[in-house]
Amino acid sequence: MTQRAYVGIGSNLGDRLANLDRAFDALARLGRIRAASSLYRTRPWGKRDQPWFLNAVVSIETKLNARSLLDGLRQAEDELGRERGERWAARTIDLDLLLYDDLEITTPDLRLPHPHLHERAFVLVPLAELDKRFEVMRDALPPSERAGVVRVERESVIGMSEELSALRERLTALARFLEESDVVRVRVERAQDEIELSVRARPAITQSAAGVPAAPASRVDTIKADLVGIFHASRPAAVEGDVLDGDRELGYIEALGIRTPVHSLGAGRLLSVVTADGSPVEYGQPLFLLARGR
Amino acid sequence: MIANRGEIALRINRACQELGVATVAIYSEADRESLHVRQADEAFCVGPGPAGRSYLNIPNIISTALVTGCDAVHPGYGFLAENARFAEICSDHGLTFIGPKPSVIALMGDKATAKRILSEAGVATTPGSDVLASIEEAYEAARSIGYPLLLKATAGGGGRGMRVVREPGDLPRAYAGATAEAEASFKDGRVYLERLIRAPRHIEVQVLADEFGNIVHLGERDCSVQKPAHQKIIEETPAPHLPARARSALHEMALAAARYVGYTNAGTLEFLVSGDDAYFMEMNTRIQVEHPVTEMVYNIDLVKEQIRIASGEPLGYVQRDLVVRGHAIECRINAEDARSNFAPAAGTVSKVVFPGGPGIRVDTHLYAGATIPPYYDSMLAKVVAFGDTREVAIARMERALRETLIEGVNTTIDICLEILESREFRDGRYDIEFIPNRILANGEAASISPRSLR
Repeated sequence: MTQRAYVGIGSNLGDRLANLDRAFDALARLGRIRAASSLYRTRPWGKRDQPWFLNAVVSIETKLNARSLLDGLRQAEDELGRERGERWAARTIDLDLLLYDDLEITTPDLRLPHPHLHERAFVLVPLAELDKRFEVMRDALPPSERAGVVRVERESVIGMSEELSALRERLTALARFLEESDVVRVRVERAQDEIELSVRARPAITQSAAGVPAAPASRVDTIKADLVGIFHASRPAAVEGDVLDGDRELGYIEALGIRTPVHSLGAGRLLSVVTADGSPVEYGQPLFLLARGR
Repeated sequence: MIANRGEIALRINRACQELGVATVAIYSEADRESLHVRQADEAFCVGPGPAGRSYLNIPNIISTALVTGCDAVHPGYGFLAENARFAEICSDHGLTFIGPKPSVIALMGDKATAKRILSEAGVATTPGSDVLASIEEAYEAARSIGYPLLLKATAGGGGRGMRVVREPGDLPRAYAGATAEAEASFKDGRVYLERLIRAPRHIEVQVLADEFGNIVHLGERDCSVQKPAHQKIIEETPAPHLPARARSALHEMALAAARYVGYTNAGTLEFLVSGDDAYFMEMNTRIQVEHPVTEMVYNIDLVKEQIRIASGEPLGYVQRDLVVRGHAIECRINAEDARSNFAPAAGTVSKVVFPGGPGIRVDTHLYAGATIPPYYDSMLAKVVAFGDTREVAIARMERALRETLIEGVNTTIDICLEILESREFRDGRYDIEFIPNRILANGEAASISPRSLR
């Protein structure tokens, strides 16, 4: 028996688009994703002096009960590196259980439907996209609230004006200059447009030969097979939770009598062993998930 | 294992399904959503988009076959289909390569040598030279063969590495150009000379041979409707206006050639026909794109025959059991812009409607929403029309093309219709200069906007 749930996803820290992608992947492990709304840039609700969020709502079919699903969402938030109670209250990823079928629950740790659903434009606008029942609620929002939710159109990126492009070039140069300093983030907001530069503290992992870019504060990397063969884990095998203090061989792929090693490509914490020892693997098949940094 | 992609991978999968043979598909990251991937019993990603790292990635391809426990490999056409080394590697790993033996593939793959060997078998070949060692040899050969000439790559195909030489003064630049292009395209810069046959027809003969020495031919196909650079657009069988004697001479030459080299499995011998003369040009040791027209008039499944032959079965029939009935035409629908000299176009196909009804067959991997990757050839679909007579086949093809809707990319549907409506095609009197001369020169290129359903 599966239930349909709606989950709100939000991020305003780091590579927001990548964070949302990883959130989708995490949600796909909790059930089957049936639909996803468009992406929206939204003005922060509550504390105003934060970066704008990137939000979406996802419809998911799951066998988990509401509490287990909520636990799954909390765990995913942790894995994706949400910082709780941090100074700017910025979030790597925020996963809200908005609705679970037509369930109504009021307990200290779980309330459904989500208590603030009816007043948050950044929830109602994408939700109404997926479920027409919420159109009325969305239309009842005050105009000022709706103004803070802007649908992300690809065209606006492709058709970026020259002025904006020039501005971006200058700021990129500025960011490079500031790379040596302590400045953590520079954000420029201008009406409907936004340029966000993140100049991060020197990363813990340098760029590897395989082209994995230098890691920001916290990130999940997928180690993939780059040839077809049978995967063998190293002995002793690395297990979930293992912390690797540097580049380490995690196993090898056997093909045509040749063993090609699989490396962790740097330090990190093993989040997941995706492929079992002795399995056939194809090109691009995920083998391990590693959390980098911190 | 199906070592190919697109419509031919689907074709092979269909034959296997009907035979009760399990299939493994390989695909590149660009073909993840491809039809053959969904329909095969198993599918393995073998690399990223670029063909060199995926469909030509022999280690990953062999590894896939071994990991999945395959018994045989069907190479389709293009890619590794005529790669003798790949055929060898397959058999080294206990995999049956569905095609002729590696030595035969290598022999026929060397065009100049193939001509020399087959002329020993009594097959008429285009007057020409052997592989040329130097430009001096080229001058010598040119003088004895007689101008005008064609300089061709011995490892070549698809019209690449070819240069026309009308007079001795053309030779230095043609020689340099042809060898360079051959080196770049085929890693073999050797070239040879051939007399340039004026306005020839390109007529090829299909053969099938089992491993017990039984060989049959399955008629000829006229493939003279070609784009610039010798790429076929429309093929038909039987070849129109071919005198009975000329027709059977072609068939007999094909059988003699196949017998002489000990050919097995499916193959096609290509001839240039000019007036009463027919000259062997080259042999393709694989299933060809245009095989459906032969299948329609002989009521046979060539891919199934390939698989049966490779598994050690005898043909089970002789030449007189094969009876031709009716007429078949195939139009290749490519994603291209006829006006800009057929530059390939990538994109997403938003809407697709394929024709049906009596006598129509469509071989395609296309579906609504499919993206056409930029890494491979631009063929979208093959529309085949069959009829009791050539007139019926033409009428059915015209109807079918008008029913066809492919939105999102420019296609060659309109130019096919123009060709079908032309006097030359309707009369059945055309040669390989037909399209280059007529259609493009006087600017009658068809509109290239996406067609709408009428």
